[in-house]
Amino acid sequence: MRFVAPFLMLALAFIAVPIEVQAQKMQEREEDFLRSRPLIGDIFPDVTVYSPDGTPFKTGDLRGHYTVLTFGCLT
Amino acid sequence: MFRDYGPKEVKFFFIYKSLAHPELAGNYVQPFTLPERLDHARQAERQLGASIPWIVDAMDNRLKHALGDRPNSEFVINPEGIIIRKRAWSDPTQVRKDLEELVGPVNRITREEDVQLKLELPPKATAAERVMPRLNRPKMQPIMMEPQIEQEGPPFFAKLRAEADASLLRDGNGQLYLGFHLDPFHNAHWNNLTESLSFRIDTVEGVTIDKWEGVAQKVSAVSDADPREFMLNVAAWPVDKPLRLTVSYFACVGEESCYAVKQEYVLHRERDIDGGGARGEGAGYWESEEFAQRMLASDKDKDGKLAKTEATGIILPQFDKLDRNKDGFLDLDELKVFSDWLNYHHTPGTPSSEPDSDP
Repeated sequence: MRFVAPFLMLALAFIAVPIEVQAQKMQEREEDFLRSRPLIGDIFPDVTVYSPDGTPFKTGDLRGHYTVLTFGCLT
Repeated sequence: MFRDYGPKEVKFFFIYKSLAHPELAGNYVQPFTLPERLDHARQAERQLGASIPWIVDAMDNRLKHALGDRPNSEFVINPEGIIIRKRAWSDPTQVRKDLEELVGPVNRITREEDVQLKLELPPKATAAERVMPRLNRPKMQPIMMEPQIEQEGPPFFAKLRAEADASLLRDGNGQLYLGFHLDPFHNAHWNNLTESLSFRIDTVEGVTIDKWEGVAQKVSAVSDADPREFMLNVAAWPVDKPLRLTVSYFACVGEESCYAVKQEYVLHRERDIDGGGARGEGAGYWESEEFAQRMLASDKDKDGKLAKTEATGIILPQFDKLDRNKDGFLDLDELKVFSDWLNYHHTPGTPSSEPDSDP
Protein backbone atom coordinates (compact mmCIF):
# COMPACT_ATOMS: atom_id res chain seq x y z
CA MET A 1 0.00 0.00 0.00
CA ARG A 2 2.82 2.37 0.86
CA PHE A 3 4.08 1.89 -2.71
CA VAL A 4 0.72 2.69 -4.19
CA ALA A 5 0.20 5.97 -2.38
CA PRO A 6 3.01 7.96 -4.05
CA PHE A 7 1.90 6.79 -7.48
CA LEU A 8 -1.65 7.69 -6.65
CA MET A 9 -0.57 11.12 -5.49
CA LEU A 10 1.49 11.57 -8.62
CA ALA A 11 -1.46 10.56 -10.75
CA LEU A 12 -3.74 12.92 -8.85
CA ALA A 13 -1.23 15.73 -9.32
CA PHE A 14 -1.33 15.17 -13.08
CA ILE A 15 -5.10 15.23 -13.05
CA ALA A 16 -5.24 18.21 -10.71
CA VAL A 17 -3.08 20.50 -12.84
CA PRO A 18 -5.18 20.40 -16.00
CA ILE A 19 -8.38 20.71 -13.96
CA GLU A 20 -7.01 23.84 -12.30
CA VAL A 21 -6.12 25.23 -15.71
CA GLN A 22 -9.51 24.26 -17.11
CA ALA A 23 -11.32 25.88 -14.18
CA GLN A 24 -9.41 29.06 -14.73
CA LYS A 25 -10.12 28.98 -18.46
CA MET A 26 -13.85 28.47 -17.90
CA GLN A 27 -13.92 31.32 -15.43
CA GLU A 28 -11.99 33.53 -17.84
CA ARG A 29 -14.37 32.70 -20.67
CA GLU A 30 -17.34 33.73 -18.53
CA GLU A 31 -15.58 36.93 -17.52
CA ASP A 32 -14.46 37.66 -21.09
CA PHE A 33 -18.06 37.39 -22.19
CA LEU A 34 -19.25 39.83 -19.52
CA ARG A 35 -16.47 42.27 -20.45
CA SER A 36 -17.11 42.00 -24.20
CA ARG A 37 -19.43 44.35 -26.07
CA PRO A 38 -22.29 44.87 -25.85
CA LEU A 39 -22.04 45.52 -22.14
CA ILE A 40 -24.85 45.63 -19.62
CA GLY A 41 -26.24 49.14 -20.05
CA ASP A 42 -25.63 49.22 -23.82
CA ILE A 43 -28.46 49.38 -26.34
CA PHE A 44 -29.28 45.96 -27.81
CA PRO A 45 -27.83 45.85 -31.37
CA ASP A 46 -30.26 46.79 -34.13
CA VAL A 47 -29.92 44.32 -37.02
CA THR A 48 -32.33 42.71 -39.45
CA VAL A 49 -33.10 39.07 -38.75
CA TYR A 50 -36.10 36.92 -39.76
CA SER A 51 -39.12 35.16 -38.40
CA PRO A 52 -39.22 31.44 -39.32
CA ASP A 53 -41.57 32.23 -42.24
CA GLY A 54 -38.92 34.54 -43.69
CA THR A 55 -40.42 37.89 -42.72
CA PRO A 56 -37.64 40.40 -41.95
CA PHE A 57 -37.58 41.54 -38.36
CA LYS A 58 -35.59 44.41 -36.84
CA THR A 59 -34.19 43.70 -33.40
CA GLY A 60 -34.34 47.45 -32.72
CA ASP A 61 -38.12 47.03 -32.62
CA LEU A 62 -37.83 44.93 -29.45
CA ARG A 63 -38.90 47.80 -27.26
CA GLY A 64 -41.80 48.49 -24.98
CA HIS A 65 -41.44 45.27 -22.97
CA TYR A 66 -38.96 43.37 -20.92
CA THR A 67 -37.59 40.82 -23.38
CA VAL A 68 -35.59 37.63 -22.81
CA LEU A 69 -33.53 36.38 -25.78
CA THR A 70 -31.71 33.07 -25.81
CA PHE A 71 -29.47 31.65 -28.55
CA GLY A 72 -30.07 28.10 -29.65
CA CYS A 73 -30.03 25.71 -32.59
CA LEU A 74 -30.91 22.10 -33.46
CA THR A 75 -27.69 20.69 -32.08
CA MET B 1 -41.64 30.82 -17.42
CA PHE B 2 -43.11 31.88 -20.76
CA ARG B 3 -46.54 30.87 -19.37
CA ASP B 4 -45.93 32.74 -16.13
CA TYR B 5 -44.47 35.93 -17.53
CA GLY B 6 -46.12 36.11 -20.96
CA PRO B 7 -49.30 37.50 -19.36
CA LYS B 8 -47.13 40.05 -17.57
CA GLU B 9 -46.09 41.44 -20.96
CA VAL B 10 -42.62 39.94 -20.90
CA LYS B 11 -41.54 38.82 -24.39
CA PHE B 12 -39.44 35.71 -24.98
CA PHE B 13 -37.51 34.78 -28.11
CA PHE B 14 -35.13 32.04 -29.11
CA ILE B 15 -32.55 33.16 -31.67
CA TYR B 16 -31.80 30.51 -34.27
CA LYS B 17 -28.10 30.56 -35.13
CA SER B 18 -25.60 28.42 -37.01
CA LEU B 19 -25.29 24.86 -35.68
CA ALA B 20 -23.16 24.45 -32.55
CA HIS B 21 -22.49 20.76 -33.22
CA PRO B 22 -23.11 19.72 -36.83
CA GLU B 23 -23.69 16.01 -37.45
CA LEU B 24 -25.43 15.43 -34.12
CA ALA B 25 -29.12 14.77 -33.68
CA GLY B 26 -30.59 14.12 -37.11
CA ASN B 27 -27.19 14.36 -38.85
CA TYR B 28 -27.87 18.04 -39.32
CA VAL B 29 -25.40 20.03 -41.40
CA GLN B 30 -24.86 23.78 -41.67
CA PRO B 31 -27.35 25.37 -44.07
CA PHE B 32 -25.99 27.32 -47.07
CA THR B 33 -28.97 29.57 -47.80
CA LEU B 34 -31.49 31.55 -45.79
CA PRO B 35 -34.44 29.34 -46.89
CA GLU B 36 -32.44 26.35 -45.59
CA ARG B 37 -31.78 28.07 -42.26
CA LEU B 38 -35.50 28.92 -42.03
CA ASP B 39 -36.19 25.19 -42.51
CA HIS B 40 -33.91 24.54 -39.55
CA ALA B 41 -35.76 27.07 -37.41
CA ARG B 42 -39.14 25.54 -38.27
CA GLN B 43 -37.74 22.11 -37.40
CA ALA B 44 -36.50 23.59 -34.11
CA GLU B 45 -40.06 24.75 -33.41
CA ARG B 46 -41.32 21.22 -33.97
CA GLN B 47 -38.47 19.47 -32.19
CA LEU B 48 -37.87 21.78 -29.26
CA GLY B 49 -41.27 23.32 -28.72
CA ALA B 50 -42.98 26.25 -30.39
CA SER B 51 -44.56 28.17 -27.54
CA ILE B 52 -41.65 30.60 -27.46
CA PRO B 53 -41.21 32.22 -30.88
CA TRP B 54 -37.96 31.83 -32.77
CA ILE B 55 -36.19 34.58 -34.67
CA VAL B 56 -33.59 33.54 -37.22
CA ASP B 57 -30.18 35.13 -37.60
CA ALA B 58 -29.14 36.17 -41.10
CA MET B 59 -26.68 34.01 -43.06
CA ASP B 60 -23.81 36.37 -42.24
CA ASN B 61 -24.51 35.58 -38.56
CA ARG B 62 -24.73 39.28 -37.78
CA LEU B 63 -26.68 38.96 -34.54
CA LYS B 64 -24.41 36.18 -33.24
CA HIS B 65 -21.36 38.32 -34.03
CA ALA B 66 -22.91 41.44 -32.52
CA LEU B 67 -23.65 39.60 -29.28
CA GLY B 68 -20.36 37.87 -28.54
CA ASP B 69 -20.48 34.58 -30.50
CA ARG B 70 -21.62 32.17 -27.81
CA PRO B 71 -23.81 29.16 -28.61
CA ASN B 72 -26.32 29.46 -25.78
CA SER B 73 -25.98 32.97 -24.39
CA GLU B 74 -28.90 34.86 -22.95
CA PHE B 75 -29.85 38.54 -22.77
CA VAL B 76 -32.58 40.44 -20.95
CA ILE B 77 -33.46 43.87 -22.31
CA ASN B 78 -35.68 46.49 -20.76
CA PRO B 79 -38.56 48.38 -22.43
CA GLU B 80 -36.08 51.03 -23.62
CA GLY B 81 -34.08 48.38 -25.50
CA ILE B 82 -31.14 48.45 -23.07
CA ILE B 83 -29.36 45.25 -22.08
CA ILE B 84 -29.86 44.76 -18.37
CA ARG B 85 -28.68 41.15 -17.98
CA LYS B 86 -26.34 38.99 -20.04
CA ARG B 87 -24.87 35.58 -19.39
CA ALA B 88 -22.69 33.28 -21.47
CA TRP B 89 -24.97 30.27 -20.88
CA SER B 90 -28.72 30.31 -20.61
CA ASP B 91 -29.89 29.78 -17.04
CA PRO B 92 -33.69 29.56 -16.63
CA THR B 93 -33.48 29.64 -12.82
CA GLN B 94 -31.59 32.90 -12.97
CA VAL B 95 -33.95 34.37 -15.56
CA ARG B 96 -36.86 33.61 -13.25
CA LYS B 97 -35.06 35.47 -10.46
CA ASP B 98 -34.39 38.38 -12.84
CA LEU B 99 -38.05 38.59 -13.78
CA GLU B 100 -39.23 38.33 -10.17
CA GLU B 101 -37.02 41.31 -9.45
CA LEU B 102 -38.00 43.27 -12.57
CA VAL B 103 -41.73 42.65 -12.88
CA GLY B 104 -42.61 40.85 -9.65
CA PRO B 105 -43.28 37.25 -8.59
CA VAL B 106 -46.10 35.15 -10.03
CA ASN B 107 -48.79 33.52 -7.89
CA ARG B 108 -48.25 30.02 -9.19
CA ILE B 109 -45.07 28.84 -10.83
CA THR B 110 -45.67 26.66 -13.89
CA ARG B 111 -43.60 23.52 -13.62
CA GLU B 112 -42.25 21.53 -16.52
CA GLU B 113 -44.66 18.67 -15.91
CA ASP B 114 -47.60 21.10 -16.21
CA VAL B 115 -46.66 21.94 -19.77
CA GLN B 116 -47.81 19.35 -22.30
CA LEU B 117 -45.24 19.73 -25.01
CA LYS B 118 -45.65 17.63 -28.11
CA LEU B 119 -42.12 17.46 -29.37
CA GLU B 120 -41.07 15.79 -32.57
CA LEU B 121 -37.97 13.74 -33.19
CA PRO B 122 -35.31 14.58 -35.75
CA PRO B 123 -36.16 13.29 -39.23
CA LYS B 124 -35.17 9.71 -39.92
CA ALA B 125 -32.36 9.01 -42.38
CA THR B 126 -33.55 8.57 -45.97
CA ALA B 127 -31.57 5.37 -46.54
CA ALA B 128 -29.21 2.94 -44.85
CA GLU B 129 -26.59 4.39 -42.54
CA ARG B 130 -23.29 3.05 -41.28
CA VAL B 131 -22.50 1.15 -44.43
CA MET B 132 -19.41 3.25 -45.12
CA PRO B 133 -16.55 3.30 -42.61
CA ARG B 134 -16.16 6.79 -41.15
CA LEU B 135 -12.94 8.75 -40.96
CA ASN B 136 -11.77 9.69 -37.50
CA ARG B 137 -11.16 13.38 -37.26
CA PRO B 138 -11.18 14.53 -33.65
CA LYS B 139 -10.02 18.07 -32.90
CA MET B 140 -10.11 19.47 -36.43
CA GLN B 141 -11.50 22.95 -37.03
CA PRO B 142 -13.95 24.07 -39.72
CA ILE B 143 -12.51 26.41 -42.34
CA MET B 144 -14.16 29.17 -44.33
CA MET B 145 -15.66 28.07 -47.60
CA GLU B 146 -17.98 29.57 -50.14
CA PRO B 147 -20.39 27.25 -51.90
CA GLN B 148 -20.87 28.65 -55.43
CA ILE B 149 -24.64 28.89 -55.41
CA GLU B 150 -26.40 29.16 -58.78
CA GLN B 151 -29.91 30.54 -58.60
CA GLU B 152 -31.20 28.09 -61.20
CA GLY B 153 -29.08 25.15 -60.06
CA PRO B 154 -30.14 22.13 -58.02
CA PRO B 155 -29.99 22.44 -54.22
CA PHE B 156 -26.86 21.35 -52.40
CA PHE B 157 -28.25 17.90 -51.56
CA ALA B 158 -24.78 17.09 -50.24
CA LYS B 159 -22.96 19.81 -48.35
CA LEU B 160 -19.23 20.04 -47.91
CA ARG B 161 -17.80 20.16 -44.41
CA ALA B 162 -14.17 21.28 -44.72
CA GLU B 163 -11.92 21.09 -41.66
CA ALA B 164 -8.23 21.65 -41.08
CA ASP B 165 -5.91 20.44 -38.36
CA ALA B 166 -4.04 22.94 -36.22
CA SER B 167 -0.85 22.88 -38.27
CA LEU B 168 -2.63 23.42 -41.58
CA LEU B 169 -4.39 26.43 -40.13
CA ARG B 170 -1.19 27.72 -38.54
CA ASP B 171 1.38 27.34 -41.31
CA GLY B 172 -0.27 25.79 -44.35
CA ASN B 173 1.10 22.27 -43.84
CA GLY B 174 -1.22 19.64 -42.47
CA GLN B 175 -4.41 17.67 -42.94
CA LEU B 176 -7.53 18.83 -44.74
CA TYR B 177 -10.79 16.94 -44.17
CA LEU B 178 -13.44 17.01 -46.88
CA GLY B 179 -16.77 15.49 -45.91
CA PHE B 180 -19.78 15.57 -48.24
CA HIS B 181 -22.76 15.14 -45.95
CA LEU B 182 -26.31 14.74 -47.21
CA ASP B 183 -28.53 17.50 -45.88
CA PRO B 184 -31.54 15.80 -44.21
CA PHE B 185 -33.76 18.72 -45.20
CA HIS B 186 -33.35 17.80 -48.88
CA ASN B 187 -34.38 14.25 -48.16
CA ALA B 188 -31.89 12.75 -50.60
CA HIS B 189 -29.82 9.56 -50.63
CA TRP B 190 -26.85 8.44 -52.69
CA ASN B 191 -27.54 6.38 -55.78
CA ASN B 192 -24.87 3.67 -55.58
CA LEU B 193 -25.87 2.06 -58.88
CA THR B 194 -24.11 4.88 -60.68
CA GLU B 195 -20.65 6.40 -60.34
CA SER B 196 -19.48 7.25 -56.82
CA LEU B 197 -19.08 10.83 -55.72
CA SER B 198 -15.87 12.41 -56.95
CA PHE B 199 -14.09 15.70 -56.32
CA ARG B 200 -11.36 17.68 -58.02
CA ILE B 201 -9.33 20.62 -56.75
CA ASP B 202 -7.88 23.05 -59.31
CA THR B 203 -4.10 23.00 -58.98
CA VAL B 204 -2.46 26.07 -57.49
CA GLU B 205 1.20 26.81 -58.16
CA GLY B 206 3.38 26.14 -55.16
CA VAL B 207 0.75 24.15 -53.24
CA THR B 208 1.19 20.40 -52.76
CA ILE B 209 -1.75 18.08 -52.11
CA ASP B 210 -1.50 14.29 -52.07
CA LYS B 211 -4.96 13.97 -53.65
CA TRP B 212 -5.96 16.75 -56.04
CA GLU B 213 -8.88 14.53 -56.94
CA GLY B 214 -10.63 11.60 -55.37
CA VAL B 215 -13.45 9.11 -55.86
CA ALA B 216 -15.50 7.73 -52.99
CA GLN B 217 -15.24 4.04 -52.26
CA LYS B 218 -17.95 1.87 -53.88
CA VAL B 219 -20.73 0.75 -51.57
CA SER B 220 -22.60 -2.53 -52.07
CA ALA B 221 -25.90 -1.16 -50.73
CA VAL B 222 -28.08 0.22 -53.53
CA SER B 223 -28.44 3.48 -51.67
CA ASP B 224 -27.28 4.96 -48.38
CA ALA B 225 -27.02 8.24 -46.53
CA ASP B 226 -23.50 8.11 -45.07
CA PRO B 227 -21.15 10.99 -45.75
CA ARG B 228 -18.43 10.63 -48.37
CA GLU B 229 -15.18 11.59 -46.69
CA PHE B 230 -11.58 12.25 -47.68
CA MET B 231 -8.48 13.18 -45.73
CA LEU B 232 -5.88 15.11 -47.71
CA ASN B 233 -2.31 15.99 -46.84
CA VAL B 234 -1.59 19.55 -47.85
CA ALA B 235 1.70 21.43 -47.90
CA ALA B 236 2.65 25.05 -48.57
CA TRP B 237 -0.91 26.36 -48.83
CA PRO B 238 -0.67 30.15 -48.49
CA VAL B 239 -3.48 32.05 -46.76
CA ASP B 240 -4.03 34.28 -49.80
CA LYS B 241 -4.55 31.43 -52.28
CA PRO B 242 -8.01 29.90 -51.92
CA LEU B 243 -8.63 26.46 -53.39
CA ARG B 244 -11.38 25.85 -55.91
CA LEU B 245 -13.09 22.49 -55.58
CA THR B 246 -15.63 20.79 -57.85
CA VAL B 247 -17.72 17.86 -56.66
CA SER B 248 -19.85 15.53 -58.80
CA TYR B 249 -22.42 13.08 -57.46
CA PHE B 250 -25.76 11.42 -58.06
CA ALA B 251 -28.46 12.11 -55.48
CA CYS B 252 -31.96 10.68 -55.46
CA VAL B 253 -35.08 11.94 -53.74
CA GLY B 254 -37.51 9.07 -53.28
CA GLU B 255 -37.50 6.28 -55.86
CA GLU B 256 -37.94 8.31 -59.00
CA SER B 257 -36.14 11.64 -58.96
CA CYS B 258 -32.40 11.34 -59.38
CA TYR B 259 -30.08 14.19 -60.13
CA ALA B 260 -26.56 14.28 -61.58
CA VAL B 261 -25.06 17.18 -59.66
CA LYS B 262 -21.87 19.17 -60.18
CA GLN B 263 -21.17 21.89 -57.62
CA GLU B 264 -18.27 24.14 -56.73
CA TYR B 265 -16.72 25.55 -53.58
CA VAL B 266 -13.96 28.00 -52.78
CA LEU B 267 -11.97 27.02 -49.67
CA HIS B 268 -9.97 29.45 -47.55
CA ARG B 269 -7.19 28.65 -45.12
CA GLU B 270 -9.01 30.45 -42.33
CA ARG B 271 -10.95 29.13 -39.38
CA ASP B 272 -14.72 29.51 -39.65
CA ILE B 273 -15.86 30.78 -36.26
CA ASP B 274 -19.48 30.01 -37.18
CA GLY B 275 -18.77 26.45 -38.33
CA GLY B 276 -19.42 24.87 -34.92
CA GLY B 277 -17.65 21.87 -33.44
CA ALA B 278 -18.78 18.72 -35.22
CA ARG B 279 -19.77 15.89 -32.88
CA GLY B 280 -20.77 12.35 -33.64
CA GLU B 281 -19.34 9.37 -35.43
CA GLY B 282 -16.01 10.36 -36.96
CA ALA B 283 -15.78 13.74 -35.29
CA GLY B 284 -16.08 11.97 -31.92
CA TYR B 285 -18.81 11.70 -29.32
CA TRP B 286 -18.29 13.16 -25.86
CA GLU B 287 -16.16 10.81 -23.81
CA SER B 288 -17.94 10.50 -20.48
CA GLU B 289 -14.98 10.43 -18.09
CA GLU B 290 -13.22 13.31 -19.84
CA PHE B 291 -16.44 15.30 -20.03
CA ALA B 292 -17.23 14.75 -16.34
CA GLN B 293 -13.68 15.67 -15.29
CA ARG B 294 -13.87 18.83 -17.35
CA MET B 295 -17.12 19.80 -15.68
CA LEU B 296 -15.52 19.11 -12.29
CA ALA B 297 -12.95 21.77 -13.13
CA SER B 298 -15.25 24.30 -11.49
CA ASP B 299 -15.26 22.34 -8.19
CA LYS B 300 -13.78 25.23 -6.21
CA ASP B 301 -13.74 23.62 -2.77
CA LYS B 302 -12.20 20.42 -4.16
CA ASP B 303 -14.68 18.07 -2.54
CA GLY B 304 -15.00 16.06 -5.75
CA LYS B 305 -18.55 17.16 -6.54
CA LEU B 306 -20.26 20.25 -7.83
CA ALA B 307 -22.56 22.36 -5.71
CA LYS B 308 -25.04 24.50 -7.63
CA THR B 309 -22.99 27.58 -6.83
CA GLU B 310 -19.99 25.96 -8.52
CA ALA B 311 -21.77 24.72 -11.64
CA THR B 312 -21.29 26.69 -14.83
CA GLY B 313 -21.89 26.39 -18.53
CA ILE B 314 -24.05 23.70 -20.02
CA ILE B 315 -24.48 22.00 -16.62
CA LEU B 316 -26.15 24.81 -14.74
CA PRO B 317 -29.57 24.90 -16.44
CA GLN B 318 -29.85 21.12 -16.04
CA PHE B 319 -28.53 20.96 -12.47
CA ASP B 320 -31.69 19.85 -10.67
CA LYS B 321 -32.50 17.17 -13.24
CA LEU B 322 -28.97 15.83 -13.18
CA ASP B 323 -28.93 15.61 -9.40
CA ARG B 324 -30.64 12.24 -9.40
CA ASN B 325 -30.10 11.44 -5.73
CA LYS B 326 -31.23 14.97 -4.78
CA ASP B 327 -28.33 15.58 -2.42
CA GLY B 328 -27.71 19.05 -3.84
CA PHE B 329 -24.46 18.03 -5.52
CA LEU B 330 -23.40 16.53 -8.85
CA ASP B 331 -20.83 13.80 -8.44
CA LEU B 332 -18.70 12.17 -11.13
CA ASP B 333 -21.29 9.51 -11.95
CA GLU B 334 -24.10 12.03 -12.28
CA LEU B 335 -21.93 14.12 -14.58
CA LYS B 336 -21.05 11.08 -16.66
CA VAL B 337 -24.75 10.38 -17.17
CA PHE B 338 -25.06 13.80 -18.72
CA SER B 339 -22.45 13.15 -21.40
CA ASP B 340 -24.02 9.76 -22.06
CA TRP B 341 -27.33 11.50 -22.46
CA LEU B 342 -25.84 14.06 -24.83
CA ASN B 343 -24.38 11.30 -26.95
CA TYR B 344 -27.45 9.08 -26.72
CA HIS B 345 -29.89 11.86 -27.46
CA HIS B 346 -27.76 13.04 -30.31
CA THR B 347 -27.20 9.66 -31.86
CA PRO B 348 -29.02 9.88 -35.16
CA GLY B 349 -32.32 8.07 -35.22
CA THR B 350 -32.32 7.26 -31.50
CA PRO B 351 -35.62 8.04 -29.81
CA SER B 352 -35.20 10.87 -27.35
CA SER B 353 -38.57 10.77 -25.65
CA GLU B 354 -37.97 8.02 -23.10
CA PRO B 355 -38.51 9.44 -19.61
CA ASP B 356 -35.10 8.54 -18.25
CA SER B 357 -33.32 9.82 -21.32
CA ASP B 358 -34.17 13.38 -20.36
CA PRO B 359 -31.20 14.99 -18.62
